[in-house]
Amino acid sequence: MRSLTFALTLALSPLAAQADMVDDILDQQILPAMTILASSSQTLSQAAAVDCQITSPDLRQAYIQAFDAWVMVSHLRFGPTETDNRAFALAFWPDSRGKIPKTLVAMIKSEDSNVANAVDFATSSIAVRGFYALEFLLYDAELSHFGKPSYRCQLVRAMTKDIATTAQDILDEWQSSYAAQMRSPSGRYQTKDEVKQELFKALNTGLQITADMRLGRPLGSFDHPRPNRAEARRSGRSLHHVELSLRTLEPLAVALAGDNPDLAEDLHNGFAKALASVARLDDPVFAGVAAPRSRFRIEALQQQINDLRTRAETDLGPALGVEPGFNSLDGD
Amino acid sequence: MKTLILAGTALTAFAAGTTAVLAADKAAVLTNYSNIAEAKYQDSLSTAQALQTAVEALLAAPSADTLDAARTAWLASRVPYQQSEVFRFGNAIVDDWEGKVNAWPLDEGLIDYVDASYGGPSDENALAVLNVVANPAFELSGKAIDATEITPELLEGSLHEAEGIESNVATGYHAIEFLLWGQDLNGTNHGAGNRAWTDYAAGDACTNDNCDRRGAYLKAATDLLVSDLSWMAEQWGDAGEARTTLLGDESAGIVAMLTGMGSLSYGEVAGERMRLGLMLNDPEEEHDCFSDNTHNSHYYDGKGVQNVYLGEYTRVNGDKISGASLSDMVAAINPDLDAEMRGKLTATVDALGALKAAADNGFSYDQMLEQGNAEGEALIMGGINGFVDQTQSIERVVTALKLDGIEFEGSDSLDNPSAVFQ
Repeated sequence: MRSLTFALTLALSPLAAQADMVDDILDQQILPAMTILASSSQTLSQAAAVDCQITSPDLRQAYIQAFDAWVMVSHLRFGPTETDNRAFALAFWPDSRGKIPKTLVAMIKSEDSNVANAVDFATSSIAVRGFYALEFLLYDAELSHFGKPSYRCQLVRAMTKDIATTAQDILDEWQSSYAAQMRSPSGRYQTKDEVKQELFKALNTGLQITADMRLGRPLGSFDHPRPNRAEARRSGRSLHHVELSLRTLEPLAVALAGDNPDLAEDLHNGFAKALASVARLDDPVFAGVAAPRSRFRIEALQQQINDLRTRAETDLGPALGVEPGFNSLDGD
Repeated sequence: MKTLILAGTALTAFAAGTTAVLAADKAAVLTNYSNIAEAKYQDSLSTAQALQTAVEALLAAPSADTLDAARTAWLASRVPYQQSEVFRFGNAIVDDWEGKVNAWPLDEGLIDYVDASYGGPSDENALAVLNVVANPAFELSGKAIDATEITPELLEGSLHEAEGIESNVATGYHAIEFLLWGQDLNGTNHGAGNRAWTDYAAGDACTNDNCDRRGAYLKAATDLLVSDLSWMAEQWGDAGEARTTLLGDESAGIVAMLTGMGSLSYGEVAGERMRLGLMLNDPEEEHDCFSDNTHNSHYYDGKGVQNVYLGEYTRVNGDKISGASLSDMVAAINPDLDAEMRGKLTATVDALGALKAAADNGFSYDQMLEQGNAEGEALIMGGINGFVDQTQSIERVVTALKLDGIEFEGSDSLDNPSAVFQ
């Protein structure tokens, strides 16, 4: 019923439709996803408190759930995730200079006492915080066995607690103030168009991260493919992240196309095509980037995502009446 | 490579439209922008030539004094160059070239000896400790390289970004910086790199071996920097490609200006250079990490963004250039937004000025990065917040200029929605 009512409203009143677009994205997508991130991170922290052994099935399962929840919001790099650099604390990637293993080794070797206290731990380098650092402790062949088991245990507990706190802080800010600011722009956003531009930028950011980084980094060049750069390859999650990202970006793209059913349909088709390629790939960590035949299939997937980017930039932006703007990936 | 993709796509929708309303103003704004670019690259060139003279003096008569003079010349050369970084991201010709002169961060073990704490070859870079100064022959991608003579051609043609890895930085300011200062091994304590002048001494006085090859590397890298800057200054001359491209499509030219301002502010300096280093508590992430000049680099980047908006620049010799500006264009259609934009740019430069003043007074940037150093974090975050905040206003400027009559042209994909998926 809701969708029918919504469609009618769209048809009858463009102004009301615009207002609903933001509410809809907040209520159907962003707030539920942030709630899941907070609750699954809390579960992760509790699992570590019960059993900090890296082989603990509950701990690993909780890690998978919480990391999934992060990937589903990883394109929303504005507002509450940027306050106090929270997104960096949850997710330091790509780590192009290998800081995570280096800093973890130093921390474990020196048995850094910051693990004993959550406030102190939160001042630590982002190289030892968040999902990507935790992946090294849980899945890296060397780091998962490095140093004293008792210290590793403390570290796993400190990391998961820190993740849970950060995720909860993000949710709190969304619920207490940021969602309201987006619904009724007056401060950070001066107009509804600026809010729509923010959401449009989030879509572009997500597509760009997936095409250029999740796929582009391991692809490297034909002469120098870089399978070791695949995201979260130690836990076998590289392709999975591409899929999660497409699944979370599709509803955003479709919602932004709102009052243009043809465009929504085309975007849906573009995502369906990319998701079908993901399903056929059968290469969880992009090990195939070095062999021409399998590489070609990964490049084809990247192209499909780049087609979606083009579509968003040339059609969706103008349809929404907003400029592409700037994002945090604009540097080199 | 992200840079190239973005330079091609950012704000293209805005570029698509043209209008006669602002055409005259736009040409004047673009001409003034080009004049400022030309002056900044000329100033970069003349200060690099002074560096070249100082390097030659160091190599002719190595001493603490001649090394110190070369370091001073390098620091001076950074002042105009950093102000030119705002021409990146919007101008493809600058982006295609920039990696040769200011690539960063680098795996300096490619070039010369490093401390044991630096580590060995990494997952990301098998050449991280190649050490060209010590090795006259080695293999790259299975090909034998003769490095008996260290020449600009060797650095540029074979070594730079070897095996497609961006941290294999063999040329430019930061390679020279490493050769003049050496690694900064002070961690988050006060102090820069401390290379001894005897690393360039002749005969038995030579420390760390291969002083002649180290000197040859320093000279080759400096000569290359001078020739690269000379080329770029020419591109902004009256008939230069950078200027003619910009003026050839005036709307796209205005977009290029704003793209440079926004991308440098947000993604590059606030993100890549400032926030990551702070969050990692890692002095190796400092932009000018060997010389501890990072505070100046950030400050002059901020000045550069402000220069472009206001259409004014004070040259190294004190001469002032000013003329038609983006600020004039915005003020004509939305004075409040112009005031907002000016205010934000001033706030950023002030915040960076506070950072610079603290560092100049002995609280160095690497100390600010120390874990738990609240005062340092506040100074760095002040700069970051300024850059992020001004980017929001730059986006408003983009939107406002569009609303003033610049309309979208029809595109193939808009007229035929399924075209891009076929």
